[in-house]
Amino acid sequence: MNSIIALSLFGIANLFLGFLNNRKILMPATLAFILFALGLNLADWNTEVLWFNNMLRTNNLSVNFTTVILVATLLVVAISRGFGDDEEHSHPAEYYAIMLFSVVGAIMMVTFENLLMLFIGLEILSVSMYVLTGSDKRNLRSNEAALKYFLMGAFATGILLFGVALVYGATGSFSIYGIGNFVTENRMGQSEITPMLYVGILLIIIGLLFKVSAAPFHFWTPDVYEGAPTIFTAFMSTVVKTAGFAALYRLLSVSFVGEYGKWVYLLYFLCAATLIIANITAVYQQSFKRMMAFSSISHAGYLLMTVTSNQATTQSSILFYSLAYSIATVTAFAVMILVSENKTSNGKPDESFDAFKGLAKNNPLLAFALAVSMLSLAGIPLTAGFWGKFFIFSDAFKRGLILDLIVAVLMSAVGVYYYFKPIIASYMKEGNIQEITIKPIYKLTLIITTILTILLGLMPDLVKSIF
Amino acid sequence: MNYQPSDYLPILVQLGAAIAFIVATMLATHWLGPKRHSKLKDDVFECGIESIGDARTPISVKYFLVAILFVLFDVEIIFMYPWAVNFKALGWDGFMEMIVFMGLLLLGFIYVIKKGVLKWEK
Amino acid sequence: MSLITLIPLFPLIGFLINGIGFNIVPKNLAGIISTAAALASFCCAVVLFMNFSGEVQIAKVFDWITVGKLNISMSFQIDQLSLLMLLIITGVGSLIHIYSMGYMSHDAGYGKFFSFLNLFLFFMLLLVMGSNYVVMFIGWEGVGLCSYLLIGFWNKNTNYGTAARKAFIMNRIGDLGFLLGIFMIISHFGSVEYLDVFEDLGHGTVAGDKTIMWITLLLFIGAMGKSAQIPLYTWLPDAMAGPTPVSALIHAATMVTAGIYMVIRSNALYSLAPETLHIVGWVGLATALLAASIGIFQNDIKKVLAYSTVSQLGYMFMGLGVMAYSSSFFHVMTHAFFKALLFLGAGSVIHAMSDEQDIRKMGGLRKALPITFWTFLIATIAISGIPPFAGFFSKDEILAHVYEHSPLMWGLALAGSVMTSFYMFRLLFLTFFGEFRGTKEQEHHLHESPLSMTLPLMILAVLSAVGGFFNVPHLLGGDSKLANFMAPLFAHSHAVAHAADESLEKTLMIISVIAAILSAGIAYYLFIGKKSVPVADSKVAGLQKVIYNKYYIDELYDTIFVKPISALSKFFYSVIDFLVIDLAIEGIGKLVKGLSSEARLMQDGRTGVYLFVMVLSIAVIIVWTLKDFILVGFK
Repeated sequence: MNSIIALSLFGIANLFLGFLNNRKILMPATLAFILFALGLNLADWNTEVLWFNNMLRTNNLSVNFTTVILVATLLVVAISRGFGDDEEHSHPAEYYAIMLFSVVGAIMMVTFENLLMLFIGLEILSVSMYVLTGSDKRNLRSNEAALKYFLMGAFATGILLFGVALVYGATGSFSIYGIGNFVTENRMGQSEITPMLYVGILLIIIGLLFKVSAAPFHFWTPDVYEGAPTIFTAFMSTVVKTAGFAALYRLLSVSFVGEYGKWVYLLYFLCAATLIIANITAVYQQSFKRMMAFSSISHAGYLLMTVTSNQATTQSSILFYSLAYSIATVTAFAVMILVSENKTSNGKPDESFDAFKGLAKNNPLLAFALAVSMLSLAGIPLTAGFWGKFFIFSDAFKRGLILDLIVAVLMSAVGVYYYFKPIIASYMKEGNIQEITIKPIYKLTLIITTILTILLGLMPDLVKSIF
Repeated sequence: MNYQPSDYLPILVQLGAAIAFIVATMLATHWLGPKRHSKLKDDVFECGIESIGDARTPISVKYFLVAILFVLFDVEIIFMYPWAVNFKALGWDGFMEMIVFMGLLLLGFIYVIKKGVLKWEK
Repeated sequence: MSLITLIPLFPLIGFLINGIGFNIVPKNLAGIISTAAALASFCCAVVLFMNFSGEVQIAKVFDWITVGKLNISMSFQIDQLSLLMLLIITGVGSLIHIYSMGYMSHDAGYGKFFSFLNLFLFFMLLLVMGSNYVVMFIGWEGVGLCSYLLIGFWNKNTNYGTAARKAFIMNRIGDLGFLLGIFMIISHFGSVEYLDVFEDLGHGTVAGDKTIMWITLLLFIGAMGKSAQIPLYTWLPDAMAGPTPVSALIHAATMVTAGIYMVIRSNALYSLAPETLHIVGWVGLATALLAASIGIFQNDIKKVLAYSTVSQLGYMFMGLGVMAYSSSFFHVMTHAFFKALLFLGAGSVIHAMSDEQDIRKMGGLRKALPITFWTFLIATIAISGIPPFAGFFSKDEILAHVYEHSPLMWGLALAGSVMTSFYMFRLLFLTFFGEFRGTKEQEHHLHESPLSMTLPLMILAVLSAVGGFFNVPHLLGGDSKLANFMAPLFAHSHAVAHAADESLEKTLMIISVIAAILSAGIAYYLFIGKKSVPVADSKVAGLQKVIYNKYYIDELYDTIFVKPISALSKFFYSVIDFLVIDLAIEGIGKLVKGLSSEARLMQDGRTGVYLFVMVLSIAVIIVWTLKDFILVGFK
């Protein structure tokens, strides 16, 4: 909880650090800020406290999710390289500040007790993301992406807010436990659920599904991911997704679990639809970044599966999966940033698979990190991703979501096809990539994430038992 | 009194009739009225003077920035009215909270000035 | 961190230092680091042994995998069996490390060699220390890998690479059996921990249970591969392609006894499966006889020792087959001493002869290599089963148990023992006695090996000489220390064989000793008295030719397995590949791709369309979920 206050202040501090002439100090400072916040966050372990007139609640669940979010942010900042040396068009202080602000939003989304806090957290996160998406001001695609994201995001926020209003109208409470009690008692009393509550629940779910980009609310994802500067794509696909699923899980498992039978079918079918649409569409993509966008949608599908199954193990499954997925995604984007900048086509970074051709020859570390992250995303054993999928599948199996399971297994197979494309390009195709110079901290990040992915693949219980 | 959704059916019927009437009238005038086109008749007309250029003129982005900042700070001030009214009831806690709030606002203002947003001429 | 976890940790650290820093670590240091790691583990093992109270100790490092109710942890078990194995592995291992520092000193891949040796030690320690079958399997696979790496250590030579591959593939066949066995254990017992499994057996499982039979059979297939039993033995002679210290450590003293270790470890299971034991016993006997007979006509010093190893392993399995577990283990121990000694001695000879391995070109080396000669002599007497050296006690114990089980088996085993004595003395006489038959140049170079090589020889010679006194039977006034020490291990086994009555045992003992000495005498007559030397390869004829060519077993395997499989493979390549892969699989792939190119069009970039689809979906969702309410109204 203190991490929220600290991060807000750090964000402001970052803005003012920008006035110093030395912009090299920004990245280390931001890293220190995040580490400090991480420490504050971990200090809340094993305490359950309600804050600010029951607005926020910190417990082990929120600490865990906050940790995943902060770790992902840390990794993204570590590969940001101070946002380049372009004095005129790059504003690192502002970027870092906005990133910190958006993390504040994300943390609010995992600690909320009152639905208003969910809404505010979501808005802080979203508005920050709109800005960051459009931060490459001279790039038309970046502008287009930001506008699209904003338009559709505003729409989704409206739906979410409408849902909150309806739920309040039906239950008379904003507190998730208050709503939960109402729903459960309603069930006990055998009285019919009112359409108002029903529609409210659906609209809230839909609003959140938009944020985590589940089909059919996923349309913004590929365009926005592709248009946004890659570093923010990495941020978006890890932090926003984790926060979104944390919020969705918390809401469904606390407030609406009493009406499980009413909303489960929606998620059940949307999960299958998301998996099919994302994986099938990803097959044809030629751009690595766009492929990663569809990959992100497909992972939303897998996560939806465990949310749908609503088992006791669901929260640790979400956490493990989010962690494994975040690490692998950041690694993949980190490699892509280097490679695409190294190989430009028409003066712009080449983001297609062809850019990776022959990577392994002169850059074995990059190729290996990429391969490990891709294998993890594809869910190949001995990587973290395998266990992530495994836990999710076993949750779904316990609930008996057979259709989803069949679809998910088939689509995992399809996934292997497109995840292997960059591996094949970097190891088996001829290319002429020279050795790319990597900064030490960048290299360290790559090594750490790669080792983590393998370590979690070998010993999943190391982390799974904590959650 | 317990209404069923089917009780609203008459309203739907009336709505349908109203829309149908409008559509029908518009279509009718479209078909029935005579139309003659000529260059002069279709030309843009502006008080007797020939029109020049586009009606949309670009305005400096600074204008929007200043406008937005004005609205921002203006709206924040509104926040102080309810606080002032309840000043006594809120006591020292309220006072400190307002100080924090104003402090943050002030920081924002300093940031804006240091960024040079308010300098019209560079 | 407890002492127990330190034991495998030392070699691992040694491996990491030498393996990662093979370009950085200076050559001299590499050997010292590795040897120090091995010695440190040995010291820990000795301390553990000294403080051992008789209670089983479990050291859990971490939980590895938890799936449902099955929990597989990375944990170590210290009991009588693992302690003894630890002492043998780290003790003999340390000696061989010291020896290698001299033997490999001229090799370019010095650091690499030592890092592999350390890695091997690490996996071997995992294998024997693991407290469950899965950890054992990790070690099992790991030592297989190291064996592969070390057989093909001189990878510039294609034949060596092929030999390495052969070893790996043969082992994989066995490993499959082992793995299936583990799966059956999991499904039957719901745990892979030794203690849990054996505990569970106590709850009314009767002898002859079919599941137990299958589990033990599958495990035995794994043992066959690793311990080179018929039909999976052919890799071991070929494995002699590796450096000689490797042959001594991996292919004589430690790794190949893993199969025996596993059966002893699972003795509670095996004792409940008489059918399997029957098979184990006869496979062991057949291997012992076949390998011994091939050994008689081999002319490569290391090949003779390799077949001798296969044959001795056969003896051990025979002992297991009659439930003489502690006797078999006793033989594992003594065999580790004298066979390591023989290999190291052979290495010393090869070193002196400038990499010549053909005994027809040796002779009279006892003057040039006195220490090697004397130690080799001790080992030869030991392996031949002549008292009072180590081999006599252990082999005799197995033979006594075998007699009790079946006199026929005993007779055949005795024949094998006669052959052993014959080919070992043949080897000794041809190598160290008579005239030197090599080139002048080689004769000129003959020299005793350096101290780092002879010291291990001497230590092992002492052990080979006195190793038998660890387990002197009652008959000879001893108190069977080893057997008593190991007795708690067999608490779960319902009936462990007991030796025959003493007068019979004495008779048997005298017969086997006389037979061994007689056959040594024949060898003396042939190779010293008549000074005959084996003829050149091309002149070998008749039955001898068949045996010399190892009964053409390799060729047989080639015809029965390899050729049909390559034919099948060709068939798959030309027919199935086309029909199934090209048409069906690629068809599916193309279908997905086609779908993908259509689905991609949905994403046309127009925000209006996106929003429209979203709103439409929301409308559909709400109408669909509210259909009950709406329809109620219109009823």
